[in-house]
Amino acid sequence: MGGYGDIQLLREDGLRLDGRKLDESRPVTIQAGILPAADGSAMVTHGLNVAVAAVYGPMEAHPRKIQRQDRAVIDVRYNMAPFSTSDRIRPGFNRRSREISKVTAEALESVVLVERYPRSKIRVEIEILAAEAGTRCAGITAASVALADAGIPMRDMIVGVASGKIEDTVVLDLDKAEDNYGQADLPAGILPNTGEIAFLQMDGDLSPEEFDLAMEYNFKAAKEIHEIMVEALQSRYQGGDK
Amino acid sequence: MVELVPNLLRQELGRLAEQDARIDGRARFEGRDIHLETNCLYNAEGSAKVTMGKTVVYAGVKFEIRTPWPDRPSEGSLMCGAELRPVAHRKYEPGPPSPESIELGRVVDRGIRESGCIDMDSLCIIPGEKVWGVMIDIHVLSDGGNIFDACGLAAIAALRTAVVPAERFDVGEDYTLPVNGTPIMASFTRVGGRYVYDPCEEEELGGDERIHITIGDEGHLHSLQKGLRGVFTPQEFAEIFEVAQEKCAELRKIVAKEEAN
Repeated sequence: MGGYGDIQLLREDGLRLDGRKLDESRPVTIQAGILPAADGSAMVTHGLNVAVAAVYGPMEAHPRKIQRQDRAVIDVRYNMAPFSTSDRIRPGFNRRSREISKVTAEALESVVLVERYPRSKIRVEIEILAAEAGTRCAGITAASVALADAGIPMRDMIVGVASGKIEDTVVLDLDKAEDNYGQADLPAGILPNTGEIAFLQMDGDLSPEEFDLAMEYNFKAAKEIHEIMVEALQSRYQGGDK
Repeated sequence: MVELVPNLLRQELGRLAEQDARIDGRARFEGRDIHLETNCLYNAEGSAKVTMGKTVVYAGVKFEIRTPWPDRPSEGSLMCGAELRPVAHRKYEPGPPSPESIELGRVVDRGIRESGCIDMDSLCIIPGEKVWGVMIDIHVLSDGGNIFDACGLAAIAALRTAVVPAERFDVGEDYTLPVNGTPIMASFTRVGGRYVYDPCEEEELGGDERIHITIGDEGHLHSLQKGLRGVFTPQEFAEIFEVAQEKCAELRKIVAKEEAN
């Protein structure tokens, strides 16, 4: 979390700087099957964030040392495009993107029926084209829709959501200013049908009560975004363009 | 991953060529449908998305302030790079930039740079101290064939919508980057023995060498590149150059139309 300075993030009327209520998410749109070269793909816009995911496979896992005898491995690459942030990012992996890739892969391995594809690999490529706080969550949501679009069996999809704390107040879905000047961020990957959690990170300062409220907001947002995910898949496969 | 070039595909492309036909039903010099969208990304100072058949490409422009080269104290700089990341096709592997992606970025860079559409002196803030560095990054998201033309189009369209973020860097007010021209690339691949325009994925897989031609507003050449194994005759070049003139003029109209919107 950034500074705890004097930046005012809540207005006199109790709303947030962009006019949202405390438990209101930024607008989300999802399109499935947007990359013709991939086996499955999706684009998620979440506020001003743009995340694209492509899925390739299941395919032979190589080098052989990454193979698992009893299941498939999921190889996730989360990458931010050089033009996705305010200051240009030099192309290539950094520590942040490696960590996000790792925990995203582990989250997806918890829902994909990996035991159906022993010794194989499923590649998930997440590209962030525009970043405005919350890209890892938009990436997880996009990856889930892309996996479903690729026809890969899953127990449930994962919805990427986040809540946080600004001016000692718990709010849903931090935008860029709130992320920079807020006090806590709690991103989670929620399985909307089972209510389980496959991904969880947090940084900042939250009391147990604040954590409970933040998770309550996260579950509410997951339910809403899940509906948009399902609609995106339905419009692709029921009377969609393909 | 090595792409297997099936002999059957090559034979089929040869058979189709004898009937002057193409695998996706197009005429020899017919391009695929093109969709161009500009200013589509937050944070990029200029951006464009190009869809050509199964190819999807984004380009984004960023600015930075740098110290000019000592021998050119009043000139800014322009750099164009392309990434062929594993998102774009199952044939692309993660790792350092491949020779293919470096070639792609450099060919697009030359076409824009050599057309003179950016006046490097106009990128000067304080001579000898501060100049703008303009960076065009091209991100290929889906390689469905002929990514060169898609990248060239995305790059110039993004550049032409770019706004110099002077306020953010505390050096005055934001202004639209002056771009004097629209250099456009046209690419041809030898398929079944003869050149076709705008090759699709199968034609690249079962084809031979390729030629990329970038043409400016006045019809002058600004960059040429011959890639892959194979040779061609001056007569063959003359034929595709003439086609390229026509295609580039058409694409330039698409850019102008998007800008007018």
